[in-house]
Formats: sequence, structure tokens, C-alpha cells
Amino acid sequence: MPESATTERPPVVKGRPAPLPLSIFAGGIAALALVLGGVLFTQYLWASQNRAPSPSCAERMSGALPGEEEKLLKGGSAVCHIVDALKSDMQAGLLITGMVLGAGMVVAGFLLYKRMPNKRQRNHAIAGAILGIQAVVFGLVILKFRDGDVLIFARNFLNFTFLEGSMDGFLRGMKNTIILAFGGELLGIIIGLSLALLMISKHRTARAPAMAYINFFRGTPLIFQLIFFGFLFLLGFQWRDALFTQVILILGMNMGAYSAEVFRAGIQSVEKGQTEAARSLGLSYVKSMRYVIVPQAVRRVIPPLMNEFVILIKDTSLVAILGLSAGQYEIFSFSRSFFSDSRNASIFLGTAAAYLAVTLPLIWVVNRVEKRLRSGLVGIAG
Amino acid sequence: MNEDGSLVRLENIHKWFGSNHVLKGIDVTVHEGDVVAIIGPSGSGKSTLLRTINLLEEPTEGRVLFDGAEITDIRTNVDEVRTHIGMVFQSYNLFPHMNVRDNVTLALRKVLGMGEKEARERAHQELEHVGLAEKADAYPGSLSGGQQQRVAIARALAMRPKLMLFDEVTSALDPELVKEVLDAMRRLVDEGMTMVVVTHEMGFAREVGTRLIFMDQGKIVEDGNPREIFDAPKDGRTRAFLSHVL
Ligand SMILES: Nc1ncnc2c1ncn2[C@@H]1O[C@H](COP(=O)(O)OP(=O)(O)O)[C@@H](O)[C@H]1O
Ligand SMILES: [Mg+2]
Repeated sequence: MPESATTERPPVVKGRPAPLPLSIFAGGIAALALVLGGVLFTQYLWASQNRAPSPSCAERMSGALPGEEEKLLKGGSAVCHIVDALKSDMQAGLLITGMVLGAGMVVAGFLLYKRMPNKRQRNHAIAGAILGIQAVVFGLVILKFRDGDVLIFARNFLNFTFLEGSMDGFLRGMKNTIILAFGGELLGIIIGLSLALLMISKHRTARAPAMAYINFFRGTPLIFQLIFFGFLFLLGFQWRDALFTQVILILGMNMGAYSAEVFRAGIQSVEKGQTEAARSLGLSYVKSMRYVIVPQAVRRVIPPLMNEFVILIKDTSLVAILGLSAGQYEIFSFSRSFFSDSRNASIFLGTAAAYLAVTLPLIWVVNRVEKRLRSGLVGIAG
Repeated sequence: MNEDGSLVRLENIHKWFGSNHVLKGIDVTVHEGDVVAIIGPSGSGKSTLLRTINLLEEPTEGRVLFDGAEITDIRTNVDEVRTHIGMVFQSYNLFPHMNVRDNVTLALRKVLGMGEKEARERAHQELEHVGLAEKADAYPGSLSGGQQQRVAIARALAMRPKLMLFDEVTSALDPELVKEVLDAMRRLVDEGMTMVVVTHEMGFAREVGTRLIFMDQGKIVEDGNPREIFDAPKDGRTRAFLSHVL
């Protein structure tokens, strides 16, 4: 192991904190807490106390038909809680207090940070100012939103009662999204590696078709490719079943073009000496690629390929255009059909959550793999 | 071997990189058992000349003969020819994703078609020869430069080549690691291996070389007995170079 395994700590050189910069730092935290925490607090207050909807909200949320007694629409009282809390004087007071405090910390922090005698105090002053800026910016955005027609927005996008009964659909959607993305990725890797090997050929006749393929699939929108090849398979090839398989094929064809570039860059990043050593031992071009160059390139392209994979997961949403059958719905197709039944867009918050549930763990893994690869030869040797 | 005892013959070799005329009519014959040291200023074409012998560089003009056959003939199976010519590089060029044993056995298995067991035995033998048998399971990244270069030598020798090419194999090494590599090469000389060695190690060239070639600007300026050239260089350029490096 290269680094010595001592447990000694380096000396602390940042210096001692002092009350003034510390209070700027604390002021910044308080300002941001008043703005963001204040919103959560008022929301919690209105929802937990289950206050009666304000007359103006109740009026616009009522769905009375002629002759019927007046009653709120589905989920209407929860929406009114959101709207009323946001429009309340308490909310305005919290926002403005937070913004004023934040602005004060910005001024104080930026005026004083250069005079601080040590690094820690300077960092406290700067951090207080930065938090103050965030408090002011968020405060302005929320104030602006508060002035608008919050009710219509909330009715359409924040009516969580409309998410009821969507869990099974989302889980099935996530499963199908993952199958589509994995299938597309697998095919994409095979196509991409093949194209990359053609791209580095010294024969123009091999490079040209690969180049044309890559340019076409990178240069046109995936949604066009889905429609075009979807109908090409259906009408041209008379392929009438297995739409799900066809979609994987098209996603893979698209992914192939992107991974081709990744693989090409990876192969070309392997030192020329590796090829020379392999060839000088008598390995043919193909064998030196297979045993020496490609294995090294593959290790190097894992992080960028995983990034492409995250993008592909989100791009599977575009297959909704082709109208899969209900059992084959991926996340977005399911959401869209749920939306057209419920006529309420709040379901799309569930959509976002479902995509995040798939992508966030993957993004986390990508970051870890990247760090591992960058921090030495672990990935190369192991 | 050819009837006249020559193993390698370069006839009127020219090499152009674009408009850069790097080799300007080289004629060299290497006989079996020769240890040819090539010296000369940086950029004079030494590496290019060496790499022409196993066709890592294709000459723009001229013929290369190995073992009596013209290997610049397009119908030659160059991969087969290269199994008889070992090469060691300045930057070692070990395969970093394989352990030392696999580095040595790769070509045995995939080119010569040798079985796993036999290849491992051969690798063990060659690694033992350079004193690194116990490193067989290590990855190149965990070895010192000198150890990596000795593995590279073992890897080339495992093919049982008729000729070994060395391109400044000690130039990238820390001074204290140079000796172990030179010692491995000296042993090879003692065993009678035919070698062409591009080197900056003048002591090595003088001691173990049976022949010395001095190159300058793509031409062979002097070609003869190392001691004679070192003691009494005929050409002014050789004299200038030697007074500079010695
Ligand atoms: N692959 C290449 N492409 C272009 N020019 C090259 C290449 N290899 C070598 N050269 C040029 O050929 C000349 C001789 O290089 P080289 O044979 O490496 O010299 P030496 O080994 O004597 O230092 C140099 O000018 C170098 O820049
Ligand atoms: Mg050189």
C-alpha cells in the first residue's frame, strides 16, 4: 500500500472561531430556515389542524351540479389547506422576516469577511452570506408564486388524493422501465462495440457505414426513431406482434450509436505501446484487440456507459408514443393513462418519484465506481 | 539461418513519416550470435530502424529479410514472423489488466496454441530466469520499473525467439534499477542470443556488444567493432557524440 498507515492527524491550521462571524453564519442558517422551514411549518399547521377551507377556496373547489348540495371536489379540502396556508399572513410574515434577515447577513458577511483574522472565521462569514443569498432568492420565488393563481395549479398538480391506487401501476411501470432500459443497454453495448471497432479500422469502406449509422442515430430525435422504425417493423417487415421487443430493439439501436463513441474513445485512450507489445508477440490485430485492448477499454468506459444508461432510463418515457398494452406500460405510459382517466396531473409527481427511485441508486453507484477508478488501479487490476 | 549465416538483412531501407525523411537508405546485416548496439543522438532514427526489423514500422522503400525470407513481401504472415522476434520497449508495456503470469503466457496460449499447464511451466521457468518467479500472481502496477522490465524480457523470451530487440529498455528506470535489467541482458548475451540493442548505456555497448552502429540523421555513420569505435572514431560526428555522452 502506498500511503503510510499512521493515525496521526495533521495540525489544525484553520484557527479558532469567533462570535461575530459565527453569528453571521447562524443568521444565514436562520434566514434560510425561516423561508424554507416556514413554508413547511405553515403547511403542516393548516393540514394538521384540518382548518375549514376559506370561503374563496371552497367556492372555486366546489363541484356542485345544479340541484345537488354544494360539496368540495375530491381532495378539495387538502388542496385548500395548501393554498390557504400559502396565502396566509403568517406565511407572508415568515417569508419577509427570513428575507430581511438573509439580506442583512449578505451585507454583513461580504463587508466583513476580508477582515477576519483566520480561515475559519472568514469561512463562517462567507457561508452566512451565501445562505443569506439563498434565503432571499427562494423567498422572492415563493412570494412571486404566492401572488399567482395558486389554486388552479394546486388543484391540478398538488392534489395527492388522485395518487390513490397508483402504487401497483407504478411498481409495474418501474419493472418495465428497467427491462426496457437494460435490454436497450445490452443491445446498445453490443452494437456500440461493433461500431467502435469498425470506426477505428484503417479501411474507409468499413468506417463509412459505421459513421453514417452513428450520425443518423445521434442526429435525429429518439422519438422520431421510435415512430419511424416502429412503423417500419409493423408495415415494412410485417412484424405485428412483440411491440415490447421492437421497442427494446429501437432503444438499443439508438444506444448503440452513443456507446460507439464512448467505446471508440475508450479504445483510443489505451496507450499505443499496448498494441505494439501485443503485436510484437505475434498476436494478430483481432487477438490483440480481444485480449489486450478491448478489456482495458471496457474498464475505462464503465462510468460514461453508466451515465448513458441513466439517460436511457429517462428516455424510455418516449416509448409512450407507440402505445404499449397496459401490462407493458413503463412508468410514463402508465402515468399518461392514469392521467387521462383521472384528468388530474398530480399523478406526475408520482412519475417523478418513480424515476428517481430507479435513477438515484444508479447515479450513486456511478459516482462510486468513478471514484474507485480514479483513485488508482483498483478497477484496472481487480 | 540463411546460407551466409545472416539472420536479418535490411536492404536500402527508407522511411518517411509524411514529409519527414527518417531513414535514408539503411543497409545492415545481422548474423546469428551478433550483439549489435545502436547508438546515436535522439531523433536520429534508431527506434524506427529497430521497429522496422519486426515490421512495427513498414518501410516506405527497401526490403527486410528475416531468416532468408523477404518479410516485406505483402504475402508474408507477419504475425508468424514476429513470434520469432522478441521486443522489449522503453515503457515496458506490460498488460496492466493481467497478472504477471498471464502477461507471459498470453501469446504462448493464444498464438502458439500451447496448453494451460505447459504455458504456466514455461512462464515459471522464464520468470525464474529473471528472478521474479514469486511475482507470478502480482499485477504489473504493483511492481517496480526494474521488475516490470524484467517481466517484459521474460515475456518476450518465453516465445523462444531467434532474435531479441531492445529499445532503450533502461531509459525510463531510476538509476538504482538499471543494473538488474542490464544483468538480465548480459545473461542473455552469455547464452548466445542474437540481439539488437538501442541504448544510451555506453558501458554496456562497449563491454558486451560484438558490433556497434552509430546513427545520425537517418543514416548509419559508423558500423564496426565497439572498442575500436569508442577508442578511435573515424567520423567527426561520432567523435562529437561520444565526447558529449562519455
Ligand atoms: N509514428 C511516427 N509518426 C511521425 N513521426 C515519427 C514517428 N515515429 C518517429 N517519428 C519521427 O522520426 C524521427 C526519428 O525518430 P526515432 O526513430 O524515434 O528516433 P530515435 O529513436 O533515434 O530517438 C523523429 O523525428 C520522430 O519525430
Ligand atoms: Mg528512440
